[in-house]
Amino acid sequence: MNPIVELIDVWKSYDGTQALRGLNLEVYRGEIFGLLGPNGAGKTTTLKIIVGLLKMDKGIVKVNGIDVSEEPYEYKKLIGYVPETVSLPDYLTVEEFLIYSGKIREVPNEQIKERMNYFIRLFELGEKRKSLIISLSRGMRQKVAITSALIHDPDLLILDEPFIGIDPMGQHIIKDLFNERVKDGKTIFVSTHMLDTAERLCNRVAIIHKGQNVASGDLKNLQQLSRSGENATLEEVFLRLTEEAEK
Amino acid sequence: MRINIILEVYKFKVKAFFGALRASRASLALLLVYTLGFIPSVIGFSMSITNAVKQGNINLELYAELLVAIVSALILFVIMLALRGYAVFEYEQNFIFTSPIQPREFLMASMFADFTASLIFVNPVFIFYAIIVLSLGLKFHLALLMLLAILIFIFMLFFLKTSLSIIKILYEGLLINSIILALAFIFLLPALRLLVDFPLKFSSLPYPSTFLAKILLDIIFNEEPQMSNFLGLIFYFSLVFLLFIFASGKNFFPLSKYIPFVSPFDTSMRMQTLKMKKSIKIFSRISLFFQLNLKSRSLLLFLMRKEIIRIMREGSLFAIILLYLIAALISISVRQASQPPQVSSFFPLTLLVGIYSLIVPLMLVSNWRSSEFENLWIPLTSGVDVRTVVRALLYDFILISSAIPALLILILSIFSNTNPISSLILIVSTSMIGCSVNLYVMINFIGKKRRGTPTLLIGWVSLSLSALLLAPTYLSIVLSVYLELGDLVAILLSAAMLIYSALIMRYFLRKMEKSVTNIEI
Repeated sequence: MNPIVELIDVWKSYDGTQALRGLNLEVYRGEIFGLLGPNGAGKTTTLKIIVGLLKMDKGIVKVNGIDVSEEPYEYKKLIGYVPETVSLPDYLTVEEFLIYSGKIREVPNEQIKERMNYFIRLFELGEKRKSLIISLSRGMRQKVAITSALIHDPDLLILDEPFIGIDPMGQHIIKDLFNERVKDGKTIFVSTHMLDTAERLCNRVAIIHKGQNVASGDLKNLQQLSRSGENATLEEVFLRLTEEAEK
Repeated sequence: MRINIILEVYKFKVKAFFGALRASRASLALLLVYTLGFIPSVIGFSMSITNAVKQGNINLELYAELLVAIVSALILFVIMLALRGYAVFEYEQNFIFTSPIQPREFLMASMFADFTASLIFVNPVFIFYAIIVLSLGLKFHLALLMLLAILIFIFMLFFLKTSLSIIKILYEGLLINSIILALAFIFLLPALRLLVDFPLKFSSLPYPSTFLAKILLDIIFNEEPQMSNFLGLIFYFSLVFLLFIFASGKNFFPLSKYIPFVSPFDTSMRMQTLKMKKSIKIFSRISLFFQLNLKSRSLLLFLMRKEIIRIMREGSLFAIILLYLIAALISISVRQASQPPQVSSFFPLTLLVGIYSLIVPLMLVSNWRSSEFENLWIPLTSGVDVRTVVRALLYDFILISSAIPALLILILSIFSNTNPISSLILIVSTSMIGCSVNLYVMINFIGKKRRGTPTLLIGWVSLSLSALLLAPTYLSIVLSVYLELGDLVAILLSAAMLIYSALIMRYFLRKMEKSVTNIEI
C-alpha cells in the first residue's frame, strides 16, 4: 500500500537549532495517525514542512506520491490544515471566512454552501454565523478552523493539537467526525500531547524525539518495541521510548 | 521596605525593558536613532539660547512665560496619563503581584526602573544642560542647583503620575475623575500659552512650573536662584510625595489594569496587532454592509474584495480619508492666506498630496502586516497560487491610495477651476511606485529570518527607496509648474511619468511574486 504521506530523511534547522535530524515517516490512507513527542521534538516543524509553511534543508516529502518540493501547489488541494495556534481574520464573519476558505481552494459555490451549512450545524455555530470572528471564544475559533480545513473535503486532514480549547462535547463531535472520515477512506494526521486521546483515537502513532522517529506502529508494536508489556498504556510506552532515546 | 527586594525587582524590570535589544541587531540601530537622533536639534536649540543670553537680547518675561507653558504642558501630560488608571505589564501582574512583595516596594522599584529607562529618551535634557553649563560658564554650585531642580521636577512627575493613577483605581468614580480633570484644567491654561496669547501672566502665579522656570532662568543668567522659588518647588514635591506615601500604602494590586508588555525595542508585532484588534471592533460595525460573498467570478476579484473589506473594517480606509481631508483643509487655508496668489493656486495641494501619497502606501502595507501576518498560513496552505494573492493586494493598495486623493483633487479642481492633471499624475505615480516598493520590502521582511526587524526600520527603508524612485516624477511636476510648460510638453511628460511608474511597479511585482513563494512562517 502506498503511503499518502511519506517523509524520507528530512532535515531542518532554524534559529541555531537542529529541529529535524533525518526524520522518516509514513502515513497510510484511511488511518488516524498520531504524531507524538515531547516539547521541542519537532512535531510542529514536521507538520509545517508537509503543508508547505517551512522548507526542509534536506530530504524528500511526498504527499499522495507528489514530491512537495517539485510541485509546491497542486498537492495542497488534497490537504486541510489546522495549526497549533489558530489565527483567523478577525475582521471577517464566520460565514465570510468559510466562503473565503472555499473560494481560494476553488470549491464550487454550491459545495461551499452545502458543506458550510453542514459543519455550522454540526458544531452548533448557527448563532455565530454572521458574527465577526473577533467575537468568538477560543473553542469556537478552533471549530471554525476545523470547518475551514474541511470545506474542500480533503483526502488528508492535518491537525496540530486540535483538541486544545474545545469543550468535551466538541471533542466528542470531532472524534466522531474523524472516525467517519476514516471509514470513507480519508486520512487524519494529528499531532498531540494528549496520550490518552491518542491511544483511543489513533490507529497508528509515531513517537519522535529530537527530530528523529524513535518508534512507529500501532500500540501492540510499540509495546513490543519498548518491552513494556502487553498491558502497558501508550503513556508508559511513550515515557520508556523517549527515555531510551535520551540515553 | 526591603531594599534587596526593591533592587531585585528593579533589575528584573530594567532587563525586561532592554531585553528586546538582544532580539535583533536592527534594535540596536533603533537605540542609536533614539539616543543620537535628537542631539543635533538639541545642540542647535541650546546654542541659540546661550547666544541670546550672551548677547543680552532676551525678553526675560517672555522666556519665563514660555518655559512655564512648556513645563505645565509636561505636568498636564502626566495628569492625563493617570486618567487611564494604574497599569502594569502582564508579566508583572502574573509573577510579581503573586509574590509577597509590598505595594510600596514594587512602586519604588518601578519608579527607579522607569527613571533608568527614561534616561535614554530624556538624554536631550542632560545634553542641553551640559551645553548650557559649559557654554555660559556657570558657577559650579549653580550648575549643581540646576541639576537638582531638574531632578526634583522629574521625580515629582513620577510620583504624581503613580499616585494619581493609583488613587484613580482605588476610588473609581465621578468624583475622582472630576478632581483629576480639574487638576488637568489648571495646568492646561498655562500650557495653552504656547498656542494663544493670554492677558494673564502665569509666570506670576504660584504654579510648580513657575518655580522651576524661574530657578532655571536665574541660573542661566548666572544669578543665585531665589530661595522662595526653591522652597516653592520643594513644597510641591513634598505635597506630591505625601500623596505617594498615601497611595503606596494601599493594596492596589487586585485593582491594577494589565497591559501587554511593550518595550520601544520590542521587535514583535504584538502591540500593533492588539491595536488592530481594537480598531476592528470599532470599524467593523460600520462597514458590515459590504460583505464577502460567493458572487465574484474571478479569484483575483474575490481576493481584491476581501482585502477591501479588511481595509474598511480595520479602519485604514477611514484614516486615509481623514488624512486627505486634513490635506485639503490645509491647502484651502494656504490658498486663502497667500497674497498675492502663488505660482499655481493648486500647487500647495499638489505638494501636500506628494507628501501624503508617500505615507499612505506605507500605512496600508504596515497595517496589512499587523493584521494579516498571523493569518498568512491560510492562503499558504490552501494551494492557491500565492502570486494571485499578492497581485490582489497590490492592486487594492494602488486603487485605494490613488482613488481617494484623486476624487478629492477632482472636486477641488472643479471648485477652483484649475487644471488637476499634474496632481493626478503625481498621485497615480506615487501610488504605483509607493505601493509596489512598500509591499516588496515588507514581503522580504516577513520571512522567518528577518521577522525581528522593527516595523519602523522597514518603513524607513521603504520610504527612502520609494522617494528615490519617485524623484523623477517630483522633478517633472515641479519643472512643469515653474517653467509653465506648454500643454503638449506637459502631456508628453505626464505620459512618460506614467509609463515609468508602471514599469517600476511591474518590476517590483515580478520580484514580489518570486519572494512570496519562498516565505516561511
